[in-house]
Amino acid sequence: MMKVTRRNVLKSSTALVGGMAGILATGRAPAFAQGTTVHWLRWNDFVPASDTLLRREMLPEAEKALGVKINFETVNANDLQPRITSAIQSGSGPDLIMLNNNHPQLYAASCVDMTDVVEPLAKAEGAHYALVQANSNDGKKWISMPWAIIGGMIAYRKSWFEEAGASSFPDTWEKYREVGKALKAKGRPIGQTLGHTFGDAPTFAYPYLWSWGGKEVDESGKVVINSKETVDSVKFMTGFWKDAHDEGGLAWDDTNNNRAFLSQTISATLNGASIYIESLRNPDRYISEKGAQLKTDILHAALPKGPAGQFSMHTYHSHVLPTYSKNAKAAKDFLRWAHSKPVYEKWFVSQKGFATPCTPEWEKHKVWTEDPVMEPYKIAGRLARTPGFAGPADAKAAEVLSKYIVTDMYAKAAQGMPAEDAVKWAESELKKIYV
Amino acid sequence: MIEGAIWRKWAFFYLPMALFLLFLLFPFYWMVITSVRPDGELYRPWNSVNYNPFWTWNPTWDHVRYLFEETLFAAWLWNTMFIALVSTAISLVCGVFAGYALSRLNFPFAGSLGTGIFITYLVPQTLLFIPLAEIIRNYRLGDTPWSLILTYPTFLIPFCTWLMMGYFKAVPKELEECARIDGASRWQAMLYIVIPVAIPGILSAGIFAFTLSWNEFIYALVFLSSPEQKTVPVGVTSELIRGDVFFWGPLMAGALLGSIPVAIAYSFFVEHYVAGLTGSVKG
Amino acid sequence: MVVAETQVYMPQAPRTRQRLLEDERWLAFVLLVPTMVLLGMFIAYPFVRGILLSVTNSRVGVPGDFVGLANYYKIWNDGIFHTSVYNTFLYTGVTTVFKLALGLWLALLLNRNFRGKAFTRAFILLPFIIPTVLSTFAWKWMFDPTFSVLNWLFYHLNLISGRINWLGDPDLAMISIIVVNVWRGVPFFAISLLAGLQTISPELNEAAAIDGAKPRQRFWYITWPLLLPVTMVVVLFSIIQTFADFQIVYVMTGGGPANATHLFATYAYQIGVGTGLLSEGAAISLAMFPILFLVVIVQLLYIRRVEVR
Repeated sequence: MMKVTRRNVLKSSTALVGGMAGILATGRAPAFAQGTTVHWLRWNDFVPASDTLLRREMLPEAEKALGVKINFETVNANDLQPRITSAIQSGSGPDLIMLNNNHPQLYAASCVDMTDVVEPLAKAEGAHYALVQANSNDGKKWISMPWAIIGGMIAYRKSWFEEAGASSFPDTWEKYREVGKALKAKGRPIGQTLGHTFGDAPTFAYPYLWSWGGKEVDESGKVVINSKETVDSVKFMTGFWKDAHDEGGLAWDDTNNNRAFLSQTISATLNGASIYIESLRNPDRYISEKGAQLKTDILHAALPKGPAGQFSMHTYHSHVLPTYSKNAKAAKDFLRWAHSKPVYEKWFVSQKGFATPCTPEWEKHKVWTEDPVMEPYKIAGRLARTPGFAGPADAKAAEVLSKYIVTDMYAKAAQGMPAEDAVKWAESELKKIYV
Repeated sequence: MIEGAIWRKWAFFYLPMALFLLFLLFPFYWMVITSVRPDGELYRPWNSVNYNPFWTWNPTWDHVRYLFEETLFAAWLWNTMFIALVSTAISLVCGVFAGYALSRLNFPFAGSLGTGIFITYLVPQTLLFIPLAEIIRNYRLGDTPWSLILTYPTFLIPFCTWLMMGYFKAVPKELEECARIDGASRWQAMLYIVIPVAIPGILSAGIFAFTLSWNEFIYALVFLSSPEQKTVPVGVTSELIRGDVFFWGPLMAGALLGSIPVAIAYSFFVEHYVAGLTGSVKG
Repeated sequence: MVVAETQVYMPQAPRTRQRLLEDERWLAFVLLVPTMVLLGMFIAYPFVRGILLSVTNSRVGVPGDFVGLANYYKIWNDGIFHTSVYNTFLYTGVTTVFKLALGLWLALLLNRNFRGKAFTRAFILLPFIIPTVLSTFAWKWMFDPTFSVLNWLFYHLNLISGRINWLGDPDLAMISIIVVNVWRGVPFFAISLLAGLQTISPELNEAAAIDGAKPRQRFWYITWPLLLPVTMVVVLFSIIQTFADFQIVYVMTGGGPANATHLFATYAYQIGVGTGLLSEGAAISLAMFPILFLVVIVQLLYIRRVEVR
């Protein structure tokens, strides 16, 4: 680290106003008070190669370029919330914390305005997708720095679907159910979690509800879930579950379906691209019953259409900078650095398409064209809605999401509760939140 | 022993004993097998053909190696040991002193104080950990072993105090009085006469306290952040639980290796533990 | 200089100190100070904070205003809360009965003389020793819908023809977490009850045997009454721990499927931490306190009665 004098600090902080481009051009590290450390907390990436890349290559580079130390910590995704809760309540903790979905809205009051980091990037790369806006912006300012979208698409076995009579992926729920029925009869059911887990359960349940025309609330925040559309969707789900699904799914977390798919007990599942990526990583470990490598038999497709259209919801990651942080400036500079094109690209490529960047600029990237199997994920950001639709993706929507109300509505029906009762239950729970 | 025919001995002793051992130790056998099984075999669903879950022909040390080379497991083990030992020691000192005072000394409010200490044992951790995080911050203990060393006694002291109270009550008053007639002060009588008699009780309280601190999860998760500061339960879960990649091998290896040191300690102390508890409940 | 000074004052200082320590009240005070300081700092203060939190509407990072008992009113009418209360009682009750019955049986077995006694006693403690989160993960995998070794075992023993959906069915999920809790708790019961058994003089049993008492009678009329005090203590500790249990459910089901396995602690956690409604989470945690308090008081009174008898 370079020696720091007061003049030096002043000089380089003016330089920083010019942005990262200036630094990269001059090759000079901006000087922070000696020993400045940015503590960065993220999940354990489902693509472990990316964490390795960050640790071994990118963060040492960042430390050189910025003159700060980066303390990189990863935890199990489910343990992020206790960490940020205690950090905010006690007013000390990591400087940058990665959060899932609309969780930034829960902590909006304690997060630094990130507009000055987000806006220049949006100007350079094109405006962020609507879902990103909804999750990371409270209507006035940006409360978190968008990082990536973990696209949720159905991964399915091409040959098994063909054998069941579907030459292409079924585009409506009815067709999907028919194919699924044939598949389950052969011991190859569809796998879907309806458990209490942050990713795959809501990213299925919400779009499914929307595609039938059901929604939690209207624009004014009035609870409208108890509608004919919702009841129809629940009724259909009950039969669909019995006919076509692996009934173990009620107990699954975000990882069970990956393992079930890779061990070839299910024919299709809604997931990030991590199943396919794992099959690429260990091509010889996963061999289909015909002796072919599993990776040659996987394709991706969006969730089917319902009467009201086709929707999706994706897991979304962004970084918040809590107001207690004493290293706010260094943290923001670090984010600017991490999002500068060559740096972010390196990370993005290591994800192999598991993560979709938050701006349309990246749709052009060659990652998507190199492997046609990954192409459906390219536009993941465009189709998505956010929980709480048609209302805003605010703290109330986040509460509904984290209580798993929509997921549990379907889980209850799948377990045998009459559709009308399941919907009524969801309505009463929602009304407690939207008062 | 059981009188009568040999079959009775089998039916009433060996068979139930074997079933108990099977129930209690089967998960450990399962962990051992998992931690030496190659990843490829871990991917077989339960109903696949040729699957033998109880044996592997291709044992591997990869998982254990991974644990020690790719993670900071050795450091976590050391941290856990250090934290558990020191917090146990603190709790024992407090518990022995408090237990002595509450059971053998006359002073106002002794009864309500005893009840008060016991009640603290009932306060749920899920309520405490958020306000505690604030205190930890105020004393600048975050991310140091001291954040746990000082908070673990909160659920260890009530237990230790209570156990020791029972034990001290059982020590005859005359023992202490004799020593005092010989010129020992109260303090000396406590230190050199009563406490040594209570050593089995102290040991059993200590073992129990050690186990509880060894197992603790939520405080360790919330108060520690650097990977090199973490304890075994938190470190293993936060580094080895990921989506689709099988870390079952190292996970199970970590669980096993994380409990072996305590198991060894127990095998030495288990007889004392039994004797100690006996004393405490006699009182 | 310093040495000289201490030499002058040394003999006096301990004498005053000793005189103070001869007074029972002072000695008690000195002995209780460390405990009081630690518990006061790390329990009393946060506990009070928790109570204050529960009568506000504060969320994470937002201090909130005083709302009286609104949070308690809210959870009183909350269906999921009712389920959690019911589940907690069921979970605590069923596991305690099983832990006691199995633990006692195991203790009776271990109280005999057999080869490898010390070894067995140490080994059966393993479930109690191993970090709970990690052993629960092992169980979670044993119950995994796709990979369950238990299903394999039962299938090959011809007990089942299809798979058992261990954690996916509400009742089976409850049974599964109960099994894990019993597994973890039996060793503690067994060893503690074994300790109690060893205090019972063998002569009593021998005398009864000579008088012609059958083994079952000897158990019910001699062993059991003498074992009752230790049993009550062990049950008390077990109830306290089980009532506030968190890790097993958190790891195995997260409260699912459809809230079928939520306990007090996991639901409080989901509301307080998962949803950021700190005050409501605190209210749920606190709601557990009076119930637990009552249970414990009843038990403590009973223990006292047993001891007096």
